[in-house]
Amino acid sequence: MPVLAAIGLGALGVLLLWWSNTPAVSSFADVITNAGRILGLLAGYGVVVLVALMARLPPLERGIGTDRLARWHAMGGRYIISLITAHALLIIWGYALTAHTGVIQESGTLVLDYPDVMMATVAAFLLLGVGIVSARAARRRLRYETWYYLHFYTYLAIALAFSHQFATGADFVASPSARIGWSAFYLSVGSAVLWYRIVCPLRNLARHQFRVTGLNREAPGVVSVHIGGRYLDELRAEPGQFFRWRFLTRGLWWSANPYSLSAMPHPDVLRITVKENGDHSGAVSRLRPGTRVIAEGPYGSMAVSRTGRQVLLLAGGVGITPLRAMFAALPGDVTLIYRASDIGDVVFRDELETIAQARGARVHYLIGSRAQLGGDPLSARQLQALVPGLHRREAYLCGPAGMMEAAVTALRAAGVPRRRIHYESFEF
Amino acid sequence: MRRIVFAVGGTLAGLAMLLSFKSHSSVGLAGIAAGAADSKPYSQASAGASGASGTTGGAGAKPGSVTTAGGGRLITGDVANTAYGPVQIQVTLTQNKITKVAVLEQPQSTENDIRIGDFAFPKLIQETLAAQNDKIDSVSGATYTSGGYIKSLQSVLDNGV
Repeated sequence: MPVLAAIGLGALGVLLLWWSNTPAVSSFADVITNAGRILGLLAGYGVVVLVALMARLPPLERGIGTDRLARWHAMGGRYIISLITAHALLIIWGYALTAHTGVIQESGTLVLDYPDVMMATVAAFLLLGVGIVSARAARRRLRYETWYYLHFYTYLAIALAFSHQFATGADFVASPSARIGWSAFYLSVGSAVLWYRIVCPLRNLARHQFRVTGLNREAPGVVSVHIGGRYLDELRAEPGQFFRWRFLTRGLWWSANPYSLSAMPHPDVLRITVKENGDHSGAVSRLRPGTRVIAEGPYGSMAVSRTGRQVLLLAGGVGITPLRAMFAALPGDVTLIYRASDIGDVVFRDELETIAQARGARVHYLIGSRAQLGGDPLSARQLQALVPGLHRREAYLCGPAGMMEAAVTALRAAGVPRRRIHYESFEF
Repeated sequence: MRRIVFAVGGTLAGLAMLLSFKSHSSVGLAGIAAGAADSKPYSQASAGASGASGTTGGAGAKPGSVTTAGGGRLITGDVANTAYGPVQIQVTLTQNKITKVAVLEQPQSTENDIRIGDFAFPKLIQETLAAQNDKIDSVSGATYTSGGYIKSLQSVLDNGV
């Protein structure tokens, strides 16, 4: 966890900045104001860390994995929004105590009279809004696209909140070096975002000339998209990885969605498979051949370079896509378990049979509801019965969050050590 | 749930620790020092300079005293450096009574410094006029500013009265 250590060290540095600039805390008002200052500094630092986690930095994407980064981002986001709220309330309270005024009056003074605090207030409400729509309950009711786009307001909020730190922050007013260091931190993360989220994908587009070459309907509501291009081997994509795809056509160009490679990558064509589930994936099924595509990636830490092991692949629903690619690519003794609640959801049946025969691997389909199957088909006992030598295997999982959680528990119970269970969720 | 408890608890504990260390790390007014040695206050003879109304306003006025038109004496105190910036005051003495106090310099690097001064100085001045000496209480929430004020006032009384 060197990344977490680095984040922690940065936070310590921020506290040190406060420590070295604060003479002493003498009264209760001082305590409150300084608590507010510390939280404000931490929030100003943390909000940039949150952006950095999402900056698609290759070492982070590879070492930590997109899904874990997204989870950290979500958890950290809640924390930072709490910090910002507490910062605002404590500063109001502390200043009101110092000035011997009421908190309402003081709030007004702060917003209207203090330099740039009005902008910072707008920023705080923007961030609060983004936090609220990202909360689980609200997220479920929003379209992915709406949620995704609302997130861009965080950049605006960070920009709006920046100047009040220097204009009113006691740690920065007096210290040019603190201002320089702080600005450098913001700028470096900002340029990383620009580089990895904008420049690199555009460069990839110019180099590889991605275009949709064909569509193939796999099942009702599930469609495979073939994306052609040149020098695709230079991308060094591996089975199990995904790209963020931005289809340059009306209604789709403004969003980049993550879809896994569902077949071995070729030097001139990649394949993804998408289940209609939201506006974006719905529109994907109506793509026309020839449509240009910007591909960001490859991402994903589930990629397989390990060899010579016995492997279990466990897919749930459309989670088969990355495992389908791995099923063809993995060396050694491979067993695939494919869980679906309805036979109509099963895709790649022919392909899987062909691969299984060609390499002498086994595929088990577990189809139907729990009631139909007479119990949990993914319990430790069932898995052990199905997969010989289960506890010796390397396990790769992909599917809905609930299923994966249950499957991880079952695998652990069946004696598979945690480090040999690999999964990536696609709920980010 | 447990994570939330950890996050909130950890933050509160950290804050409490930092703030309590800070409140013990230096005693009340240790940060306050008198002005530099080369600006030692001096009391100027009021050699007929009755027309000059002394130096009011302007930062870093030279400590000293002049006689005003009304027969009072205008005494400028030392610059007292506080952790938040310098404080300097000027006292008008009429028949050895403090009749007026003006603030020549105050911490103003942040908006909050200015506001702290805005509410603290009137109180300090009021106290001074009432007490007629430097045995006045500092204003809570403005400990440093008060300390600087008292220091500058002391230098006036030491040298001018």
